[in-house]
Amino acid sequence: MKKKSMIACHHCDFLMSSPAIKTGDCALCQRCNHKLTRLDPNAINRLLAFAITGLIFLFLTTQFDLLTLNLSGHISQLDLFSSANKLYFDDYKILAILVFIFIFILPVMILCFIVLFIFSLKTGVGKWSQTSLLRLIFLMMPWAMVEVFLVGILVSLIKLVAIAQIDLGWSFWTYSVFCFCYVKILTLVDRYQFWSWIDEAHI
Amino acid sequence: MTHYCHNSAAAKGFANCHSCSLVSPITEVKCPRCQTQLHLRKPQSLQMTMAYLFTALLLYIPANLWPMMVTEKLGQVEHSTILGGIILLWQDGSHPVAVIVFIASVLVPIIKFLILLLLCFSVYFSHILCPHKRLKLYLLTELIGRWSMVDLFVVAILVALIQLEHLVNVQPGSGAIAFSGVVILTIMSAKSFDSRILWDEHNKKQNSLLNKTN
Repeated sequence: MKKKSMIACHHCDFLMSSPAIKTGDCALCQRCNHKLTRLDPNAINRLLAFAITGLIFLFLTTQFDLLTLNLSGHISQLDLFSSANKLYFDDYKILAILVFIFIFILPVMILCFIVLFIFSLKTGVGKWSQTSLLRLIFLMMPWAMVEVFLVGILVSLIKLVAIAQIDLGWSFWTYSVFCFCYVKILTLVDRYQFWSWIDEAHI
Repeated sequence: MTHYCHNSAAAKGFANCHSCSLVSPITEVKCPRCQTQLHLRKPQSLQMTMAYLFTALLLYIPANLWPMMVTEKLGQVEHSTILGGIILLWQDGSHPVAVIVFIASVLVPIIKFLILLLLCFSVYFSHILCPHKRLKLYLLTELIGRWSMVDLFVVAILVALIQLEHLVNVQPGSGAIAFSGVVILTIMSAKSFDSRILWDEHNKKQNSLLNKTN
C-alpha cells in the first residue's frame, strides 16, 4: 500500500517514505532536522518495567511525609495531598484542583494507561480500547508536571532552611525515584512506535 | 486558495493525523487508524494562538501586581508579589534560588510571550528569521513552558507547610490564580500554533520572489 509507506514530519509537513532504521537508531526529518522516531531496543518491556516501578513508588509517596518543618518546637508536616488539601479549604479551589491534577492525577493516569495498553498488546485482551488509550496518553502527556513539582519542593526547601529546621521525609526520596521513572518513560514514548505496535496487533 | 509548502504532504492532498501520525488522503475525513478528524493544518491555528496569547498577556498584569502569598507573622500581615519574593530571596543571601525563581517565573513567561508574538508576526513578515531558527524557537517554548509552574508549586507547599497557629501563617494570594492562568494559557497557545505554516509562508515568499525576478 502506498499510503502506509509514507510519513510526514509533524513540524514541517515534509512528505517522505518511511525510513528503514535499525534498533538503537534515530530518524531525523530531512528538511527541519527534527527527530521523527527512535527505535529503542526492547522499548516495550522497559516501558512496562518503568511504569510499574513508577506506580509502586508513587503509592509509597502517598504513605509518608515529604517535608517536616520544625520552627522552635512547632512541628508541621507536608505530604503529597496536604498542599492541595490546604489550598482547597482556603477557598482557592481552582488552584487546589489544578495542583492536584498536575502532580498526581495525570501522572497516575498516564502510567496506568501505559501499563494497561502494554498488557492489552501482550495478551490481546481488550483490543477495542487500545486506540482510545493511546490517544488519551498523548493528550495528557504535556500536562503532567512531575519534575516541575520536584524542583518546587527543592526551592521551597531552600527558602525555609534559613528560618526553620527542615527535614526531608521518606516520601521525598520515593517521589524522586518516581520522577526518574517518569522522565525515563517520557524519553521512551514514541508516537510512531506506539502506533506501529497497534498495527502489528491488529493484523 | 491556501498555498502549501513544496514537497509537503498537504500539497499532495495527504493529511498527517494529529494523534497517530498516519498519512492518509484528506478525502477520508477521519483517520482510518484512530478515527481522529483529519486536517491538512490545524484549523485557525494563528487566531487561536493569538487569542490565548493576548488573554495570557492581560492576565500577566494582575499576576505581577497582586500578591502571590500573604504571610502573617505575629499579627503582621505581609503581601509578597512575584518580584517582591525574588528580591527578598536575593537580600536573604540565597542567590542561586533567587536566580532559579527569577528564571522560572519572570524570564520564562516573558520569553514565551516574545517568541510566540514573533512567530505569529513572522507568518506575515516571513523574512524575520529562517524557518529552521523559528522552529527551534517554537520547540524552545514547548520545552520551557511548564517550568513557570514552579512558583505556584512553591506557594502551594509553603501554604500547606507553614501553618503554625499564632506564629506564622501563609495564605495564597489572588495573584497565584492569575499566574496559573498565565502558565496554562501560554502552554495552550504554544500547543495551538502550527509550525507547518512557517514553512508554507516561507515557500510562498520564495516563489513570489522567483516570479518577480523572472
